[in-house]
Amino acid sequence: MSSVQSPVTEPVGSKTLMDNPIVKAIRSSPLFGSVAALLLVSIFFAFTARNFLSANTFSLILQQVMVVGVMAIGQTLVIITTGIDLSCGMVMGLSGLLTAGLAVQTGLNPWLALILGVGVAVAFGALNGSLVTGIGLPAFIVTLGTMNIAWALKRIYSTSTITLTEAQAPLKFLGTPIKAGGMELPPPGIVLMLLAYVVAWFMMKYTAAGRSVYAVGDNVEAARLAGLNTKRILLGVYTVAGLCYGIAALLQIARTGVGDPNAGESTNGNMDAITAVVIGGTSLFGGRGSMVGTLVGVLIVGVLRTGLQLMGVQPTYQVLVTGVLVIAAVSVDQLTHRK
Amino acid sequence: MTEAAPGRVLLEMKGIGKTFPGVKALEGVHLSIREGQVHALLGENGAGKSTLIKILSGAYTRDEGEIYFDGELVDVRTPADAERLGISTIYQEFNLAPNMTIAENIFLGHLPTKGGRIDWAAVRTRSRELLDSLNVNLSVDTLTGTLSVAQQQMVEIAKALNRNTRILVMDEPSAVLSEKDIEKLFAVVRRLQASGIGIIYISHRLKEIFELADEVTVLKDGRYVATRSVAEVDMDDLVKLMIGRNLEDIYPKREGEPGEVVLSVSHLAQTHLARDVSFDLRAGEIVGFAGITGSGRTEAVRVVFGADKATAGEMTLFGKPYSPRSPKDAIRHGVALVTEDRKRQGLLLKLQVYFNMTVSGLDRLRKGGVLQLKDEQKLVRKWIKDLRIKTPGPDFMVVNMSGGNQQKVVLARWLSLGIKVFILDEPTRGIDVGSKAEIYQIMADLADQGIAIIMISSELPEVLGMSDRVMVMREGRIVKELSREEASEEVVMQYAVGHAEAVAG
Repeated sequence: MSSVQSPVTEPVGSKTLMDNPIVKAIRSSPLFGSVAALLLVSIFFAFTARNFLSANTFSLILQQVMVVGVMAIGQTLVIITTGIDLSCGMVMGLSGLLTAGLAVQTGLNPWLALILGVGVAVAFGALNGSLVTGIGLPAFIVTLGTMNIAWALKRIYSTSTITLTEAQAPLKFLGTPIKAGGMELPPPGIVLMLLAYVVAWFMMKYTAAGRSVYAVGDNVEAARLAGLNTKRILLGVYTVAGLCYGIAALLQIARTGVGDPNAGESTNGNMDAITAVVIGGTSLFGGRGSMVGTLVGVLIVGVLRTGLQLMGVQPTYQVLVTGVLVIAAVSVDQLTHRK
Repeated sequence: MTEAAPGRVLLEMKGIGKTFPGVKALEGVHLSIREGQVHALLGENGAGKSTLIKILSGAYTRDEGEIYFDGELVDVRTPADAERLGISTIYQEFNLAPNMTIAENIFLGHLPTKGGRIDWAAVRTRSRELLDSLNVNLSVDTLTGTLSVAQQQMVEIAKALNRNTRILVMDEPSAVLSEKDIEKLFAVVRRLQASGIGIIYISHRLKEIFELADEVTVLKDGRYVATRSVAEVDMDDLVKLMIGRNLEDIYPKREGEPGEVVLSVSHLAQTHLARDVSFDLRAGEIVGFAGITGSGRTEAVRVVFGADKATAGEMTLFGKPYSPRSPKDAIRHGVALVTEDRKRQGLLLKLQVYFNMTVSGLDRLRKGGVLQLKDEQKLVRKWIKDLRIKTPGPDFMVVNMSGGNQQKVVLARWLSLGIKVFILDEPTRGIDVGSKAEIYQIMADLADQGIAIIMISSELPEVLGMSDRVMVMREGRIVKELSREEASEEVVMQYAVGHAEAVAG
């Protein structure tokens, strides 16, 4: 019993930096952890990776994250409702490959190919949503299934890369840097990604739909008894997530110039979207999370990947690092949740 | 009341203080427990009872004050510290693993080993002894998930006893029990008391305190008010200490006459639980639904609210056929339900006060599809003020609020919607006297405004004090309708359990 006896003479009112109201407000912000992590990672690479602190690198990071960034918006919605969407990377890959294939090989009008390609991603989202709400299957199982289905369909459709040509210029527009008066501006896809975040942030904060997503995530039965159409909300969440993966697919083919059957697989960020969402502070327990947090999480993943690349680390090891990161982030979530 | 010889002082808490961001939860609170004493801890919601016992059990750490155990200064910082001292707490939400047996739960985290292997024989023998000492006739191999609430509570007590408990804290142990189970619980508490364990007993039911406790400590607004010997006080004294007002004033007087029939329910059934329910509800009246747990009251009103589908029967609302497809549909028709399980079905616990208040009426706060957050803030602040909700602000998470304040948040949600039929299922369960009185007043005001109210309650004084008419349900049927004058505790109880017909032939 002696181990619990100690004098109770801790100082009570001593003024420290931690008592400062501004410091307190910053510390209590849900974004504190993720922003701090982003700064730490950036500082680390500023010292260790050559050329990290340059406009080029910054532009490179943004270009690299725009695909995962848009996927992560959909994933955030799903995770806030206590779900998870394992199919996101594969659906994105399938959607991109189809868009490229329909335009290049089938010879469809690129705009029509684009609509069909994105449509497939939306259909996959709606399928996930229907299975989760209609039959009441766990999201993990449903999306594990559709992940494999999307992967297989992708391979059945094509096992070789499909290169976009000048005839498909509209499909490359989003990924092509803009040259203006000798200056090279980043590609418009980045603007599209940021715009998507603004829209998503606005929806979550200023619309009834956004509120409903949080409500369903906190307690689906209480939300139903509060008069929300919970099934429609969940179906909407998964469908919008599918749309996000479709838009991400357009960014993917625009950036690389090819429909790639390997797109969306492990080394190419299948799980990066989930990692980014969790690092960004969205709780796997549902009801809690923000689009701004996810954007920060996406940047952390992007900085890590780019920084490691600049240091000459193999992609395999980058995957290893993001794996460790996601476990760390979920642990933090679990520990704070318990408190 | 037990005339136990006063034992040694086991535990003393002196000048305990605790501050949360924005709230001073406790300040200068004292509590002193002797061996073999039942010490009641009394106070309104938000008085600081929960915070105090969480400090004692190591769930929170205090900011100020000292704790002495057996006369020695100790530091309780973690649940493990409390456990080493022999302080066990039984919370309202039990902490049992549903897929494990009673024996496994009793020994969870403390499994004895023999030669490197778990000594299951010892586990089962000791568990059997513990259950026997509590007069529980259950196999130690029963899965706890299959037990009734009362039985689970006994397993929690057995678990505590297995850890050489010297102080047992019970947080509203009777709130979830039926009358019969409460008697059993009391017998167990008295036996523990006789064995020298000090018991801290938290309850909202004053009657129980007079039946069980030796001493009572009253808290109010996080401060210590008084400690009294139960023999020296009466109920009025305690209520005055708690809220500073008299008990008779708790049920508001109403004058208004009931108006037109608003809701008419005929031969409603919902599976085998509600079998045949017919009644009319008039504008401006409060109809109380009495009956024992499982008599089908909740099942019937859930159909009225569209939460479940009827299996038979018809309803009309304002003379028109009414069969809500969903709660959303019911709300559109002006029908609202305050659920009996506030935490699981009523509130979005981890979301904020403002969120919970406006979640059902977001379409009223929209302009061109955009939520007007400023209007929302205004509305929410108005309700916080009007209903006297204790919260640091609209952004406070409801999970951190007391039961009474949580219930007011639920009420505010519906009040801003222009509801015509208001159904309240156990509206004051787990709520202290002060908040109860406020909720009764709100209900009375609503009735005076012409809103038709159905109140389900298992507390007979509440049913009798609030209702214009009383419907008694038994086995899925309304067996008797009583006017305010006819209704008394005896008559209602007789119909509720089925004696009345037997007497009347």
